[in-house]
Amino acid sequence: MIDNLLLGLETAVSPENLLWCFIGVALGTVIGMLPGLGATTGVAILLPITLTMEPVTALIMLAGIYYGCQYGGSISSILVSTPGDSSSVVLTLDGYQMARKGRAGAALAIAAISSFVAAILSLLFLILLAAPIASFALKFGPAENLAVILLGLATIVSFSGSNAVRGLSMAALGILVSTVGVASGFSTDRFTFGNVNLLSGIPFIEVMIGLFAVGEVLHQIRRGGEKPIRARFRDMIVTRSDLRRAVAPTLRGSGIGLGLGVLPGAGATLASFMSYGIEKQVSKHRNEMGSGAIEGVAAPEASNNAAANASFIPTLALGIPGGGATAVLLGAFIVFGLQPGPLLFESQPALVWGLLVSFFFGNLLLLVLNLPLAPVFAQALRLPYSYLYPVIIFTSLIGAYAVGNNHFSLWVVFVAGLVGYLMKQFDFPVAPLVLGLVLGPLLEKALVQTSAHGEGNLLVIFQQPISLTLTLAAIVLGVGPGLLRTLRARRSATTRTNERQDIHA
Amino acid sequence: MHAKKTLLLTSVAILGTATLAACSSTGGDAGAEAAGDYSPGERITMTVPFSAGGGSDLAGRATASGLEDVTGTTITVENRDGGSGAVGYSHFMGLEGDPTQLLATETALMALPLVQDVKFDYNTFTPIMKMGDDYTLVTVAPDSPFETCTDVVEAARDGRVVAAVSGTTSLDSIVFSLIEDDQDIEFDRVPYESGSEVLAGLMGGHVDVASLNPGEIAGQLESGDLKALCALAPERYEYELLADIPTGQEQGIDVAFAQFRGYIAPGGIDDEAKEYWVEAGREFADSEAFTEYIEANYMQAAPLYGDEFTAYLDEYNENLKKGLGIE
Repeated sequence: MIDNLLLGLETAVSPENLLWCFIGVALGTVIGMLPGLGATTGVAILLPITLTMEPVTALIMLAGIYYGCQYGGSISSILVSTPGDSSSVVLTLDGYQMARKGRAGAALAIAAISSFVAAILSLLFLILLAAPIASFALKFGPAENLAVILLGLATIVSFSGSNAVRGLSMAALGILVSTVGVASGFSTDRFTFGNVNLLSGIPFIEVMIGLFAVGEVLHQIRRGGEKPIRARFRDMIVTRSDLRRAVAPTLRGSGIGLGLGVLPGAGATLASFMSYGIEKQVSKHRNEMGSGAIEGVAAPEASNNAAANASFIPTLALGIPGGGATAVLLGAFIVFGLQPGPLLFESQPALVWGLLVSFFFGNLLLLVLNLPLAPVFAQALRLPYSYLYPVIIFTSLIGAYAVGNNHFSLWVVFVAGLVGYLMKQFDFPVAPLVLGLVLGPLLEKALVQTSAHGEGNLLVIFQQPISLTLTLAAIVLGVGPGLLRTLRARRSATTRTNERQDIHA
Repeated sequence: MHAKKTLLLTSVAILGTATLAACSSTGGDAGAEAAGDYSPGERITMTVPFSAGGGSDLAGRATASGLEDVTGTTITVENRDGGSGAVGYSHFMGLEGDPTQLLATETALMALPLVQDVKFDYNTFTPIMKMGDDYTLVTVAPDSPFETCTDVVEAARDGRVVAAVSGTTSLDSIVFSLIEDDQDIEFDRVPYESGSEVLAGLMGGHVDVASLNPGEIAGQLESGDLKALCALAPERYEYELLADIPTGQEQGIDVAFAQFRGYIAPGGIDDEAKEYWVEAGREFADSEAFTEYIEANYMQAAPLYGDEFTAYLDEYNENLKKGLGIE
């Protein structure tokens, strides 16, 4: 182990590798910030320019882009409520509220710090326990995946808080929209009306750009004439009490991210939503969540970084990609003539360990880059909105076009923008809609697979220990909060009646 | 002020790197011109109807860079994914008569028109070059009781064998249909959405058997995490790793069906343009880059050009109809 780490260190600290690691994470931050352009697209776009490099250097840079994106994605979410990718959607809830209260700098700093802590923690797991974790992840078959998704859906209840009906109906709308296109496991198309662009479904990233970026801009324009946020410098800096409050959520978020990240398919988005949902149940400050709580920034940001690192576990240990970006990275391995698979650790020790050790440096660089820049980025909000809005719309449309490479994407953005505006106007929560959209196809796939597996019997999820546990957890998370509220209300009602009876007696 | 500059700078940086990415693969020195004096133009676009990083993308990029070297043109790769390839092919249909456009093609070109409501089929386009064949291996987990493909067939005859497929019109699904037809048996299918998902299902013991391209599982075969029972190919592979795997035919299963890879041009291009690209393809097939691509992906080189490729597609179409149960 020590030998391997030293070998990795030797590879990772060569000036060339450090330089490209830095370029990778810096580019990743930028790509992550741009709406629509996420890690998968970023790595794929930049793959060709790495072809002339040494394989290990190229992979260090490409991996840097990947986890750099996770940092960058949160910046635009917090500042202008425009998520760079789906795993930073949740940050628009509390991060953006913090920014509106003049605490953008603190929110960005907390995001960077909790990302860093989560990355280092998950990296330790990756280095120490990659093989056992990977073989545990393989135990997750259709039934287990179905249970995980049910758990994810159950978190919607905690998102919506007192407004459960609105939250649930938005999630249902999201799932409904996600049924457009060719269904998983079948070859017939649904709701496409002969439009080829709809065969692959309503494109998720474009919808997200529309809902958040365009929707928010329209909403602010409608409110009109607001002065830019005047933030005092004192509020920009992260305080000791902020940090103290971030500790537990960061640890919880890291754990959830690590757990979900290793499962092929589930990934960072689900992890960030779920950790926010959990935080809303267990945090001491749960009542503040939604209106700019530190916990609402630290937990999801930690979990999406942990998930990004964790998705390297099945990728490196088994040769099975943990998500979109790692799938592209596996493609890169083949381009460089490396055979991904369980033997990679043995056949390419310098490469694998060099890559892993470079994660330490990459994340350190990101922290050093992001912490001092946090107050600087936050200054963006001093811009008059008449300058800021066109920039947001412009970058959003570029992002959407770059993703889909056609005009249809732009139409989706406009329509989704209008929907997002109306939702804000009539106070419907946007996050459950996004979660529905993300989970819809996964839910359907897991349902079809579980059903095929159990010869039509879906109750198999209660027959395996893992899926049984997760399903029960989903039920508790789903009906628990409501039940608890009812019970509390009833108890206080009974005590009141009792008191009244005492008086009468 | 500062922030606006940052945002603008970032978008410029992205556009810059994207351009850089597009240009960097231009091998500076122009090779021999492919066919006489004719040239379709300097700027060529290669459409890949699947997302970046997948098998089609790798094939498209390898072809583009190989063709750049032999023609001296600049070929930009564009991913237009969606609808299992339908979006990309439909876009390509609109480029009729344009000799500066190419598309990295594979089996979806044949399967989509048979099962989905799309407006194209292979006759809509001009087939240029088929590069090679990618057959599948019938694969199980190492602790599986199955030792041969005959075992799998017998087990399916007596009871339930769960087969993983990566899509309803994907190669593995077609191959299992052909085995079912040939042996008069039935598999229970669990649909997945990609080869790597199938891989995870198989290694986790959630399915009994899968049919995967050797390039997808070479690493796992080498490490002993998967076991290949037979190759559904007309002959045994020559690659060292795969040479000991018997063919289906040796085990009494008369099925050999491959996914092809190659490239096509839009329909209605001039004969001159078609000849130019066919010549370029021939030169590409003689290059080191071609061999490297084929070997890295454990494929079988089987180049066919122009009308030969079209004739191959005619026959392929008939077999595919049988595999998909369409008459």
